[in-house]
Amino acid sequence: MTDALKRVIDALDVETFLVCESEEEGKKLALAMMKNLGFKDVDLVFIEFIGSGARIRARAYMHRPGDQYGWLFAEEVKGND
Amino acid sequence: MTKKVLLSPLDPVHDIGLKMIKRGLNEAGLETKLLPPDTPAEEIIRICMEGSFDTLLLSRTLGYGVAELLARFVDLADAAGLRDNVRIGIGGMAVRPEIAAELGFDAGFGPGTTVEEAVAFVEGREYSPQENEIKKEKVDIASPYTYHYKNQKIGSLLEKITMQIIAWAANKTSPGVERAKLRENDWDYQAFLKKEDDSKFYKHYAQLCDQIPKDFYLKGVMHPKTRELSKDELISLNTYISNMQKQMKVKKLQHTKKLPIVWNQYGTGCPFMDIAHVKASEGWGADGVVHFDPSWGARTEGFLNGNLTHQEDGTVITPNNLYRIHRMLEKSTLWQVRAHRGLNTAETVVLAGKIGADLTKINICYGSLAAGTDPARLTIDAFHAIKYAAKYKMPFDVVTNEELTGVPAYKAFAGMLIVADLAVRLGAKPILQPLFAFSPEVMVSGQMDDNYIDFNAAKIYALRSIVDAPIWPGAPIGFLTQTEDRVQSSLSTALHALLATSLGVDAISIASADEAYSGGPISIPSKIDTLRGVEESFRFLGLAGIKPTEKAQIWQEQMVIGIENVLSQIAEQGDFVQSLYDGVLGSKEEGAFPGRAGYNTVREE
Repeated sequence: MTDALKRVIDALDVETFLVCESEEEGKKLALAMMKNLGFKDVDLVFIEFIGSGARIRARAYMHRPGDQYGWLFAEEVKGND
Repeated sequence: MTKKVLLSPLDPVHDIGLKMIKRGLNEAGLETKLLPPDTPAEEIIRICMEGSFDTLLLSRTLGYGVAELLARFVDLADAAGLRDNVRIGIGGMAVRPEIAAELGFDAGFGPGTTVEEAVAFVEGREYSPQENEIKKEKVDIASPYTYHYKNQKIGSLLEKITMQIIAWAANKTSPGVERAKLRENDWDYQAFLKKEDDSKFYKHYAQLCDQIPKDFYLKGVMHPKTRELSKDELISLNTYISNMQKQMKVKKLQHTKKLPIVWNQYGTGCPFMDIAHVKASEGWGADGVVHFDPSWGARTEGFLNGNLTHQEDGTVITPNNLYRIHRMLEKSTLWQVRAHRGLNTAETVVLAGKIGADLTKINICYGSLAAGTDPARLTIDAFHAIKYAAKYKMPFDVVTNEELTGVPAYKAFAGMLIVADLAVRLGAKPILQPLFAFSPEVMVSGQMDDNYIDFNAAKIYALRSIVDAPIWPGAPIGFLTQTEDRVQSSLSTALHALLATSLGVDAISIASADEAYSGGPISIPSKIDTLRGVEESFRFLGLAGIKPTEKAQIWQEQMVIGIENVLSQIAEQGDFVQSLYDGVLGSKEEGAFPGRAGYNTVREE
């Protein structure tokens, strides 16, 4: 996890519109997109497919309750991170 | 001598910001003149010099060519000698303070500048953000109410029922009651703060607990879903807290009306994450926060101890956890520790009271019909919990969550009124908590087929026609109307808040935009979403209102009749506890099942 991501208090949501042919495909694409972005603990909070594609809100948890929180131990964020 | 201020927009049309600042300057007793938009720079400088103005305030909204325009103005002002006697400030959407400073202006005001900042500049004094900081105070929503009955028939029925409960409870006790007594008599909060040895207390305490707390105290075995927070984590938390406290500010959600106050819940499982949640809630305007404990906590006799984090929803109640969260609260934040539904109800109230909670939550009927606790057990525990709530001056809400299982509102309200009446007789201050929810009752019967307003309004009208008591819809408002879509979810919460403020209730509990998402923990941004939505709804409505249709009146009358009938039945039976087992306040067909936790643990003293 980069220094900046350590400062994400709990979750990072990605909201976008995916061009797809069905809700099922949209779900697969959304989760694949999050994995491709390098996130491990991912889920799809919301999807609504209509006609041309799906509005989605995908989520990656950086810190779940009870984890060792990066933001508790965070140092100054390095510019090249 | 009164200072003279010339204001001039360097835009073809935009001068609203300067007009607002002009009003602020006039209210501060300063003399002002506002030039029309698009006045040439040379003209502004001439008027300023001829009129012997002390300060010139310019604004620029449009972004294109702003640097060149301002640089040219400064050159002209220098050439004319204006800067010798006049201080020049520049503000507006296109202005950044650093650009203004670079160009040689005396002050630069970027977007978000307040009128107070501009006034301070004109008056030549340092602007202190504190003068514009919101002052919040705790609101006691219960104290204005008399608890007098407007419906005498219902008042008389309640008296009969609650006197019977008081007589029933007189010679009974339970392990929960005994633990509460022990915590009340033998556990000293000041000694806890001084870290004095409490092993004697916990040796005795363990004897009154279930196996899990007993193993924890006697064998040092940790609950399987918990872990102790490390020393490093505790030290880091202190650093995080002290850094945060320096910059902490709070917002106020209410607009022209002072009520309703707004509550957020927390209970992530981890007291550290809870603190993060609480600070975000406070920052974005919540007036109060509610501590949620794990569901297993309600079915376990006894509390654990220490700095514990929990892997699932609900933060374990321990003195350390409550203390740590409490000391992080802003002075204006109300703190509620819910006690309402389980085997630790009475002790929760004692612990919360000693540590400094402002409110608690108790309801015999919900806890025993929809939350798994044996009716007799919860009645005796809640009876004592209410007495402790009175002692510690903690008002408590009586939530009607049994509506969510399918119990009709009138039955849930009958139960709520019984607990409220009992509380008043025991010297406590109950707060009525009807649900603003798309409940199973209305799903089946269709009262919300057209709108979400009428049936919720009917609830408030019905309760107001019965008793003069505070009302705090929850919990959360709009329950079961929200979806995983954060826009829909936030809007639905905001609209229910709009209805609540229109109905003039005292408080509301709101969910996060993650309310309907069950795949993981609630996120802090999702809490901010709904707080922002509610703030906007209060701003939108102001002192205006929402008008329900005539259905609200009809349903109000039906509800009151229903409540009367239920109370008559219980009064006639003469046994409140038995009526809970018999389904009078919610039957199995309606999804209400008398709980089993603590069954057969009530004994006579």
